[in-house]
Amino acid sequence: MWGYSFMRRAFAATTVLSVSMAPVGAFLVLRRLSLAGEAMAHAITPGIVIAFVFTGLSVTSLLVGGLAAGMAVATLSAVLSRTTIIRGDASLASFYLIALALGIFILSAAGSAVPLRSFLFGSILGLDDESLLLLGVVATVTLVSFSWLLRPLIMSTCDPAFFESQATRPWVTDQAFMVLLVLNLLGAFKTMGTLMAVGLLILPATAARCWAVSITGQIGFGVVFSLVSSWLGLCISYAFPDTPSGPAIILVAGFIFLLSTLVGPFGFGRRIRLRSFKADKPQTRAPV
Amino acid sequence: MDVPAGTMLAVLGANGSGKSSFIKALLGVLSPLSGEVTWPHQKTHTVAYLAQRTEFDQLFPLRVRDLIAMGKWRGTRFWSRRSWAHSDELLDAAARVDLQGVLNEPMHILSGGQLQRALFARVIMQDAPFVFLDEPFSAIDEKSERLLQELILEWREQGRTVVLAIHDLSAVLRHCDAALLLGEGRATFGAPGEVLTAQNLIDQGYLSRDRAAWIVDHQVSLGLQRSA
Repeated sequence: MWGYSFMRRAFAATTVLSVSMAPVGAFLVLRRLSLAGEAMAHAITPGIVIAFVFTGLSVTSLLVGGLAAGMAVATLSAVLSRTTIIRGDASLASFYLIALALGIFILSAAGSAVPLRSFLFGSILGLDDESLLLLGVVATVTLVSFSWLLRPLIMSTCDPAFFESQATRPWVTDQAFMVLLVLNLLGAFKTMGTLMAVGLLILPATAARCWAVSITGQIGFGVVFSLVSSWLGLCISYAFPDTPSGPAIILVAGFIFLLSTLVGPFGFGRRIRLRSFKADKPQTRAPV
Repeated sequence: MDVPAGTMLAVLGANGSGKSSFIKALLGVLSPLSGEVTWPHQKTHTVAYLAQRTEFDQLFPLRVRDLIAMGKWRGTRFWSRRSWAHSDELLDAAARVDLQGVLNEPMHILSGGQLQRALFARVIMQDAPFVFLDEPFSAIDEKSERLLQELILEWREQGRTVVLAIHDLSAVLRHCDAALLLGEGRATFGAPGEVLTAQNLIDQGYLSRDRAAWIVDHQVSLGLQRSA
């Protein structure tokens, strides 16, 4: 397996991606943005497609196009939900559907050489030097930003009212997090495709939530879970010829998630304990 | 209105009369529709704020210890290696609110009263000259309320300015230096005994006519007002 350079690249890429996506995924889940992350993954498609049609398969244009499309959809849906009766989730869903349809339409209309399949599921086994470089840059930017953002993000997620009263510019934290989210989705887009990109963000984070007591633990478990899923997934797709590696990775991540909900201290076990704890408590309210 | 430093100001009003919005405007989180807020000196670093818990996410993975240590966030620089979560100051604060036993537990196991006490410990950690409390006693038991009341009174003794939104009229009459009554598009400001008259409370939609008689009796018993 190590004899093939494409496998070595795939291992390197998913390792870097796992380390970079774990902290973003942790906060995505904790900020109740799990589904918004999925939407954003689709929303960046038209930017990438337009960039691709006009400039070819260059990493810079992918980055610029994806960032522009992602931020445009995020901003538009935020404005719409603030100024009209439409709720935030509904407006985001509407815009991402438009964006996704637009992306696939342009891709087909331009008669592109890149098959739709690789847009939807990525091409993890066909990564060139430029794509690896992109992943490296994304991971570096993410980790350096997080060393600054961690504390403000913890506060704005856990206790937003308190955070707003203490921070001088609270909106910077939220915006920076959105940019990091789009950057990581772009990195994942190249390897996992638009359908599977969010998988490595969400599943290791939700699995980690069943184990972690602190935010450090949440991120740490997330890194470990996504590394294990990436490596195992790649091995599985290598062992069974003609199976796609992206879905294989996500399937392993899904398995870890299901396992965590079953045996994790804050999974099903905790529910049972909570119930018995409540039953122990004396009834304080007098019958009406 | 002018609130001298060291005042304990009660903000009263029916639900929806704008108590929380008023406090947020003072904090600069909301910008006032008209008028302006001036502070004696720089606002941030020096304001402790305890909001209502509607936006608080108790399921966030955080130890009780780290929640209380948040109070020191403004004073902690990026490169600081000092861990407030394990400082003596934090232990003292936890002891004041009787939470030493659960410091290492995840905060989602705390009951409503325990969480409120942890948030009070965070206010203690902030050690700020201005303390803003938005309905600090909602949904907590008698024992916790007594403990927290003592803390608030102590903060006033220490010369801190305390602004609190509260529904306990009798406590306001007994302990506060000033009161602001909001409601029906009006604001009445002054000493508690002058603001909390039966007439004002009825006019500003805080009490019904039959309940208002009670406040007059209560003020008389506290010697704040001669019987009308």
